Amino acid sequence: MSSRIDSPVVHSAAWRISLWATLAFACGTLFVFIALHRFVANDIQRRSDAWLTGEIEVLGNVAEHTPKDSLYSAVVSEVAELASKEVPNKLRTEGTENGSVFFLQAASNGSLKLWVGYGRGDSYLDVIGKRTIIPAQPTDIHVDGIKIPYRVATLHMEDGSSIYLGLSERDELRVLRNLRSLFILMWLVLVLLGFSIVFYTTRRMLSHVRRITEAASQIGHSDLTARVPTTDRSDEVGHLARTLNHMLDRIESSMHQLHTITDALAHDLRSPLTAIRGKLEMSLSAAPNCDQAESIVSVIDELDRLTDFLNTSLDVAEAKADALRLSKSEIDLDELLRIMIDLYEPSMSDQGISVSIHSSGSALIYADASLIHRMISNLFDNELKHLPPSSRIAVRVEKDTETVTITLEDDGPGFSDDVLPHLFERRIKGKASKGHGLGLAFVEAVVRAHGGSIAANNRAAGGVNIRVQIPVLSA
Amino acid sequence: MRVLLVEDEHDIQAFLKHSLAEAGYQVDASPDGKTAEEFAQEHLYDALIVDLGLPDMDGFSLISRLRQVGVRAPVLILSARRSVDDRVRGLEQGGDDYLTKPFALAELLARLRNLLRRNIPSSGENTKLCVLDLELDLLRREASRGGEILQLTTQEFVLLEYLCRNAGRVVTRSMILDKVWGMRIQPDTNVVDVHIYRLRGKVDGKGQQPLIRTLRGVGYVLKDR
Repeated sequence: MSSRIDSPVVHSAAWRISLWATLAFACGTLFVFIALHRFVANDIQRRSDAWLTGEIEVLGNVAEHTPKDSLYSAVVSEVAELASKEVPNKLRTEGTENGSVFFLQAASNGSLKLWVGYGRGDSYLDVIGKRTIIPAQPTDIHVDGIKIPYRVATLHMEDGSSIYLGLSERDELRVLRNLRSLFILMWLVLVLLGFSIVFYTTRRMLSHVRRITEAASQIGHSDLTARVPTTDRSDEVGHLARTLNHMLDRIESSMHQLHTITDALAHDLRSPLTAIRGKLEMSLSAAPNCDQAESIVSVIDELDRLTDFLNTSLDVAEAKADALRLSKSEIDLDELLRIMIDLYEPSMSDQGISVSIHSSGSALIYADASLIHRMISNLFDNELKHLPPSSRIAVRVEKDTETVTITLEDDGPGFSDDVLPHLFERRIKGKASKGHGLGLAFVEAVVRAHGGSIAANNRAAGGVNIRVQIPVLSA
Repeated sequence: MRVLLVEDEHDIQAFLKHSLAEAGYQVDASPDGKTAEEFAQEHLYDALIVDLGLPDMDGFSLISRLRQVGVRAPVLILSARRSVDDRVRGLEQGGDDYLTKPFALAELLARLRNLLRRNIPSSGENTKLCVLDLELDLLRREASRGGEILQLTTQEFVLLEYLCRNAGRVVTRSMILDKVWGMRIQPDTNVVDVHIYRLRGKVDGKGQQPLIRTLRGVGYVLKDR
């Protein structure tokens, strides 16, 4: 009756724990990264904004103080170009026309006055014209045809024109993109590593629990001497194992106590019974006449009944407490039932009862022979005592991969209604019964002690149906 | 035949000693294990009857100690314990038969006789058993009385064979169940009796001397004289 855990690893607790732990870890690190990302992005933006506001002021000064002659645009362009060389966050330069900076001066009527930058200035002016850009507060604009937005700062000149300085966010975005891909790579590695570590440790931890479970399931009904494996560690698992073993100690000791009590009881009652019986037998052999002998014999009969009652009571008591001491061997139920029927058949046919057996061949179980013999003889005794003449008993033995089922059916009067719900309780017997009321209680106790089950009820067609199931002997 | 009886209960010891003596045995009785060991060293016994619950030592250890000092006589164990474990252990540790208290005196005597007979080396298995005018051919599985073949079933033949082998000795119902059917059960119905009645109907015909006798409260005996 081992409960080895052979289910796939995805059903294991270790797998689930690692999955949840990894999920929590992944979410946590992701959250931290998002916060970090925002912080870095803001900082870069703040720096480029500071640069933009500084530069536009310089350019404004230059534009203000440069005479508006033919050299104006050349001078301002030169200054703007120079400024573009000092762009912050710059990672690489691709020639001069990297398009990372533009300078634009719009006249008061909105027409393009000066353009320094990559491509045509009109489209930039269009976009700027649609937005209101507040001086000293750089704003993002999206120019058609260019994927990367520009950060634009503005300054109003005294002559009514406005100058705009735009800085491409390309470098800024590249920094953030690099940051992200680096993070994702490291994040994946970390998450996988974390999962493996958590999975490995929980699996190791839980393998102790599994060993405890396996050991515990080996500790059978009557064998209480085994213990679950313990570790030196003082963690929960070690504690569990030690607690289980303490519990087993206590169960074993109370079981031992029960055995001691029943043994003592048996001993204390048996010795006087033996002495009484012996003395009776001696006086029987010395009895002068038939009448005296007759009464002595009937006393001996009573004594034997008392002994039988004592034995069965103690057995039932032990079995009810799951404390029957079993000495198991291989038994063929088919063969046993045939011998038993052979034994009972003459008594039954004397009473006009016929008995038949249907069986599909040998049905091996691993059980205590003496208890199983007594169980079956109890069932037959029961039938013999309660069936009226010309009844029929049918015994069937069936087996499948797990159990051997014995079905016993008769066409007698069946159980009376007041007895039926309490069939397997001690001291329950029909009104007309001559027995001591332990028969079926004993049968149930034996079946239970062997890990089987029993059901008894009245058939619809009349009569009794008793089904006993006992685990089959596994190869 | 000399028998050593080891039993601490005074009442039981007294009636056993009396009955054994009446049955023709020379009996030494010991109330504990130590005295029993002394007895066993002084005399050579044909059989020992040992109670498991002794005041000074376990009956099991007494048996193993006696076996160690070379006592070869068969041992019949008496026990007030009921567990099958004890029966198995008793037989494993050098006991030859086991009887649970309370027992029928006749059963004890019968088992004791069985043990003593087992101890005598048999001079080859006979193929024929004869008790008075009853004859059993063990090879052909045929029984006849006064030359007339009896129509017996296989089971009845086995039962009659068992009775013949113990002719003149009492066999109890539980011995019959044990030896003929291989069951240690105590049916509270008369299953064994019915088998005996049937067998008797076939063996003891009209006008013949009845061979199978019933001893009430005890068992059966096949008369051999």
